[in-house]
Parts: sequence; structure tokens; C-alpha cells
Amino acid sequence: MAYAQAIFTNAAIYIIATMGLAIFTGYTGLFSLGHAAFMAIGGYTAAILTYFFKVPLLPALIAGVILSVLVSVIIGYPTLRVKLRSDYFAIATLGFGEAVKVLLENLEITQGARGLPGITKLADPFNTFLFMILTIWLCRNFLHSNYGRKIIAIGQDPVAAEMIGIRLLPNQMLSLAISAGFAGLSGGLLAHYITFIQPAIFNMDLSSLITAGVVCGGMGSLTGPFVAVALFIVIPELFRGLALWRLVMYGALLVVIINFRPKGLFGYEEINLNNAPKLFTIIGITVGLTVAASIYNEYASYWGRFPSVLAALAAAVAISFIVSYAGRWLSSALKPFSAKFSKSMSAFYARYVAAFQKAFTPTRRLEVQLNALKERLAVVRLDHSQPVLKIEHLSKKFGGVVAVNDLSFEVRPGEILGLIGPNGSGKTTVFNLISGVYPIDSGDILFEKKNLVGQPPTAIVLSGISRTFQNIRLFGSMTVLENVQTALHTASNYSLLEAFIQWPWSVNPMEQRQREQALELLKLVDLEEYADRVAKTLPYGLQRKLEIARALALNPRLLLLDEPAAGMNPKESLELVDLIARIHKLRNLTIILIEHHMDVVMNICERIVVINFGSKIAEGTPQEIQCNPAVLEAYLGDKVEVEEYAPLC
Amino acid sequence: MIFQTIITGLSIGSIYALMAVGYSLVFSVLNFSNFAHGAVITLGAYVAWAVMVNIFQLPFLPALLISMLGAGIIAFLVERIAYSSLRHRRAPSLYFMISAMGMAIALQNVLYATIGANLYALPPVFAQDSIQLGTAVISKMDLFAFGFSILAIALLTFILNFTRVGTAIRAASHDAEMVSVLGVNLDMLVAVLFLLAGALGGMAGVFMGVKYMVYPSMGWITNKAYIGAVIGGLGSLPGAIVGGILLGLVEALISVSTIGGVPLSTYRDVFSFGLLALLLIVRPTGLFGRHVEEKL
Repeated sequence: MAYAQAIFTNAAIYIIATMGLAIFTGYTGLFSLGHAAFMAIGGYTAAILTYFFKVPLLPALIAGVILSVLVSVIIGYPTLRVKLRSDYFAIATLGFGEAVKVLLENLEITQGARGLPGITKLADPFNTFLFMILTIWLCRNFLHSNYGRKIIAIGQDPVAAEMIGIRLLPNQMLSLAISAGFAGLSGGLLAHYITFIQPAIFNMDLSSLITAGVVCGGMGSLTGPFVAVALFIVIPELFRGLALWRLVMYGALLVVIINFRPKGLFGYEEINLNNAPKLFTIIGITVGLTVAASIYNEYASYWGRFPSVLAALAAAVAISFIVSYAGRWLSSALKPFSAKFSKSMSAFYARYVAAFQKAFTPTRRLEVQLNALKERLAVVRLDHSQPVLKIEHLSKKFGGVVAVNDLSFEVRPGEILGLIGPNGSGKTTVFNLISGVYPIDSGDILFEKKNLVGQPPTAIVLSGISRTFQNIRLFGSMTVLENVQTALHTASNYSLLEAFIQWPWSVNPMEQRQREQALELLKLVDLEEYADRVAKTLPYGLQRKLEIARALALNPRLLLLDEPAAGMNPKESLELVDLIARIHKLRNLTIILIEHHMDVVMNICERIVVINFGSKIAEGTPQEIQCNPAVLEAYLGDKVEVEEYAPLC
Repeated sequence: MIFQTIITGLSIGSIYALMAVGYSLVFSVLNFSNFAHGAVITLGAYVAWAVMVNIFQLPFLPALLISMLGAGIIAFLVERIAYSSLRHRRAPSLYFMISAMGMAIALQNVLYATIGANLYALPPVFAQDSIQLGTAVISKMDLFAFGFSILAIALLTFILNFTRVGTAIRAASHDAEMVSVLGVNLDMLVAVLFLLAGALGGMAGVFMGVKYMVYPSMGWITNKAYIGAVIGGLGSLPGAIVGGILLGLVEALISVSTIGGVPLSTYRDVFSFGLLALLLIVRPTGLFGRHVEEKL
């Protein structure tokens, strides 16, 4: 019993570190091989405080967490700033882990490689379990907040995230800091549970254990890593008799899971009744193995090795199947009840929240948010005295290729301006320059008289220019609704602490409204029935509409649409024309439209700018453009043919 | 003294380069860091131990060739078991790395479980190991390792530049998919790639074994080689060589330096990682790395 308790407590401690790392690796895709170092920092800090200074456990743990977080900021800033690719980041963190180990081996207060023996046993199964529950709850809350969604968005598509105003560095640092904090907590508990720590404990194998837990459990999931780490701790323990072969099994388990379960156990999903059979299969196999191990241990000496292995295997298979099928039956039997249950729970919750809200809700803050949200669909007041956007002598070279060459044009308030030109003429580059994706070589871009040159993309977006992409860049694993919700992050103003605790009187109503607003935006582009679909499963045309809804969620005054009708059939593109016209009218938006479907362009653009080889070759109404010889030449190439087409005008 | 240090540095650096080349070869085509390379190198050293000490008493050169072959085959098997299905599925590189880590843990512990944690020495290659050169005492083994590593890398360069399969590998490092569309059997190509990387790794393993000892966790040293590869720029062959040798030199120099009477050798690894961190901050793609711009 004491033995089972020890395994359980160990598992809980590692689960805490893994949950934290799930927030970092699971959502940013960056791979850390140095998280054991954060556990070491937390563990040593807490242990030194309780051991030498007789500080109680809780403040000691908190101090460990704080120090881990501080160190993570110091490590995270330089490495995340240069946008290292994930392999390089992994080796950088490995180096960090080694550096911390060497430091601990040589410091006076940590007593070097001998370590700290005789730490008071302040952690027990009970409080460890409580901390584990707390960790899971905090992580879950965080992920369901604006802060969490920002991090998820960055992991899915950093470019698209920047284009909805999410700054990469601070948010990635935040997720690293959170993972470091929980690793520190886990280290502190570990120190006070095993009562003896030395630098060698916090080696790369420990780092790889929690990283492997996240990846095998499933990226973009919290419950998946939970199950995976539990398995990694429990399964090898079952085979204690096998001594050194346990680690071979652990290694093989990693290879098997990664190779046979493409997304890990629960990639991009949380455990619920629909995928519970999978969980039961896992539990079944584990229980089967447990029984097999004990059968072998009990009877190997009576029956001989071979028969007892056979018996153990037979028992394992039988039990795996039984548990797995029982689980399948149970979860399908529970389904109808669960719907009722969750309905009544949410009703109960709503009542309790309402009571709280009446008492505590900060009305002023909510009002600010409400106004910010209302703006999303409000009519833009246009200032007709000046152009919305003025591009002056803009140039951009890529090596020897001149992509944009001394380009000047302006966009008038409230118009839909078409930007057309043959393939490779530099249209998308113009968008990339306006939105700040590429730095500008020379020239000016004035948006409402403010010069955008040199501003980071996120600042440009937040100043009122949103865009869509030629090759769709949605947050593929999020639902349709979440895609829009993420882009609404600027409307709510709750703090990080509030996000972690999800105060029912401030975060909940704000989140509620944000969701309603997101639905409103989906309704605008006729996607509300798909709100709960995973974005990447939508058909192509609808994905383009979703991109438009997401761009609108940022409350733009200028909207850049990059080939919204690409890949659509004539009927779909007509619908799209309708949609753009509707949005334009509803909000009084100013729009620049890049498009190859000439029927779309000629239908809704009031003016058209034509570029070729990065230079403007014509500007005017659709009628004028259609007859412009330079345009005809650029598209059709030959002087003679130009003569033939000219009479059409 | 300084001359001696430089020779030591070049020798360890060239062994790093041998391993780093293995990382870079795999990275250039498959775009992931093969963290199981260390285990392959260790197994290569154990093969040498088996044929030189434990089972047969073969002389050095045949043993070296057998270990290179053995390590090459092991690397190939690792690819088949741990990577090929991921490769066919076009899994993200993170998955490859985890699979590689699992493989490394499993292989290393197979050694612990079967042969044990003992340290074994490989017989010395030269009876009289050091030669006097002025005031400096230089190990023949160091010179030998340096010369042989350079030779092996030169051979690899020849294969890559003047054979059909080498040309295919270089082409695949630009665009593997395109190469397979052109009718090259990508599975074959990857097999050759791992054989080559493994063979060089096996050679490095044998040199490490002669220079130090053979033991299950000797693969840890490959992290240094990996740093070398990253410093040079992952995926670049000259980068791996320069990075490996540079790292060897820096380490040799740091091992003999002191600051205010405190020897720096304890902090040698910290310096290596520090060098890496500094370089990555200044040049995130390494010395010879390619920078790939994403098209929007």
C-alpha cells in the first residue's frame, strides 16, 4: 500500500510539471530539454528555505515558483526573441539544463554534488494531490481565456497570430514562464517528498520524461499529457522485477506511441464521453499488464518461466479486452445522462454566477468592454477630407528582384479599391508591406496621416488595418467560433490573475459577451451554424469567409482582402461579391481587394489600380481600366491583340 | 604547451566533426535532429569492443571497419523502426525528435541491461603513444584520429559530389519531394544516408573508445557534437566540420585555462553551451546555415 502510494505521489508530482509544459510545448510546438532545470531551481529553493531557514512549505514553494519564473524570463527573452527553430531551441534549453546542473554542483549552499539530504518530509500524497488538482484547474482556466487563446493561436500559425495583433515574444515568454512556474512547484514538492535531492536527479532524462509526456499525450491537450505521464510512471513500475529493462520499455513505449498514434493519445482534444473508449482501452491495457506482472511474479517459481509468461500474457490480453469493452459500453450508456447532467450543472452555475455578479461585478469595466465589442459592428465614421491610406514612392527589393518599384496610390474613404495585375506583379508584396510583414526599402505608407513605416505588424493591425491571406491561414485546430473569439482579444481587459482563477463576476460575463459577439460576426458571414466545427474541416470557400470574419473582429477601418475568391466557382464568387458589398455597406469600411476573378473586381470595385513588375501601370474606374491599352498589353502581351480588343470599349 | 593543446583540440574537434556530419547529413534531407545518433555511436564503440576484446582479438583497422559497418546498419535499422513511418506520414519534426529520444533511451538501456555499466578499455593502437616535438608531447592517437577523421570526411565529400547517389542526396537536401517525383527511391536514399551517418558515427565511437573508455552513457558526448553542428548551421556539411573543430579547440583551450587561479575545466561544458547560446543570438541560423523565408 505504501508502495502504491509512492507511485501515485510520484505520478502526481510529474503530472504537475507536465501540465505546465503542455501549456508551453503543447501549444507553441517548441521543444524544451531543460525543464528539469526549472524543477531543480524550484526544488532547491524550496528545500533550502525549509531546511536552513525553517520556512513553512507553502511560502517556500511559492518562492521556488517565483525564482523559476524569473529564470525562465532571463532564458526566454534572448532565445525566443530570435525566433529559433525548434531544434535549436531544444539544444539551447539542453545547455541551460546543463549549466544549472554545473552551478548546483559547485555552489556552497546547495552542498555540491553530494546534494541536500534530510529535507523534512512536508509533502504527502494528500497535499500533492491537492496541488495537482489546483494545477489542472489553473491550466484549464488559463487556456479558456484570452491569454490562453493567444498562445494557442501562435502555436497554430505565428504569422496569422501577428496579423490579428498578437505579439509573439511576450506571449511565448508568458507560456514559458507558466511552464517554468509549474515545473518549479513540481520540483519543490519532489524535494519535500523524497527528502533528498542532488543535482544528478534533475538530468536530461527527467526533462525528456515530461516533454515526452506532452508529445505522446497529445499536443494541444491537457488531459492527454496527464494520461501519458501517468502511464510513463506507472507502467515501468509494474515491471520492477525487470530492473533495467524498465527503461528499455519506456523508450520503446515512446517510439510505439509516436509511431502508432500520429497525434499522440489525445492530440488537440480533451477527454470526454465521445473519446472515452480510447481512455478505457489505455486503462484496460495498463490493468492487464499489472495483472500479468503480478501473475508472473507469483507463479514463475511454481509453474516455470515459460508457462507463467504465457498465462500472464493471456490474462493481460483478456483483461485489456474486457476493460476496454466495458468502458465502451459504459461511456455510451452514460451519454444521455451526461447531456442532462451538464445542462442542469450549467443552469445551477448560471444561477450562482448571477448571484455573485449582482454583488461584485465591476460595472465600469464591463461597460468599457461592451463598448469595445459594440464597435466591432458599428458604422465607421469617415473623414472625407483626406485619403485613408496614402502610399508614396514605395519600393521593395528581394535580392536582385524588384518586387515593388516606386509605387504610389491612395485609397479614398469608404471605397473598394481593386488592386490587380498579372501573376507575380507584386500585389501580395504590397499587402505585406502595408501590414508590416516585410520591412520597407524606401517610401512611405500613411494611414490616416500616421506613417506606418518601421512599425511592427501587431501595431499596424491594432491601429486599424486587418487583412486576409492568399493561402488561407486559419488556426486550423481551433473551432470556427474560437478563431473569431481569439481575434476579439483586444476587447476584454481582464488581468492574467483573473484569467487563471476565472472570477465568475468579471471574467465570465466578459467571456460570455465575447462569445456572443463572435457569434454575431459569424452570423454576418453566414457561418453561425458551423460555430463548433474545427476550422480546418470547413470547405474551402467557407474558410475564406471565416478569415474575413476574423479580420472584422479586430475592428478595422481598412480591410485588405487578398484573393478572397481564389478557388471559388462562379456561383460562390458571386455570393462572395454579395458578402463583401454587405460588409462594406454595413460598416462603411474601406477595402483594398486583390483578385484575379475579373467579374468580382469589375462588379464591386469603384476604382482599380493595376500594377505590373511592381510599378503602377494604370488607375481608374473599371470601365477605364478595361480599355486601357497598357493594361491589355500587360495581360495579353501582344500589340496586335490589343488592337483587336480595343473596339470592345 | 599551446601547440600540444591545439593538437588535442584538433583531435577531439575532428571526432566531434565526424559525429556532427552525421547530424547534418540527416538534418539536411529530413529536417530533424537525430537524437538517437549518440546511441548509434555508443553501439559502434561496443561493436569494436566485441571484436577487439570480448569475442575476437582483431587488430585495429579491421575492427574499425567492422564497427563502421555495424554502426551503419544499426543507424539504418533505427531509421526503419523509429522514423520511416513518421517520414511517410510527413509528421512534424517534433515527433521525429521524440521518437529518436525513445530510441536513444531504449538502446542505451539495452546496453545497461545486457552488458552492464562497466567501463571497458579498447586496446591502444600504438605501443608507444606519445612523440616528442620540441617541448610539446603529442599523442600519436590524437594525430591519428585527426588524420583519419579528415580522410573519412574527405571520402564523404567525394561520395556526395561525384557519385550518383551523392548527387541525389544533395538534390534531396534542397527538395526531397521533388527528388522523389523525379524517380529517385527516397527510401533507398534515406537508407544510404543513415548508413553513411552511422558509419562515420561508428568511427567516432571507436576513436572515443580508444581515447577514453567504452560505457553505455558515452553517447552523451554527442550533445557536444550536436552543438558543433548547430554552431556550423544544421544541415550544412562544411558547417558541421568547422563547428565541430572549433568547439574542440575552444574546449581544449578552456580546459587548460584558469581565471584568478581557478581552473575553468569544471565549467567547460557551460562554456560550450555559452558559446552556442551567444552564437545563436547573433546568428540564429549558425555560421553556414540557410535561412528560409516563408512565403505568405
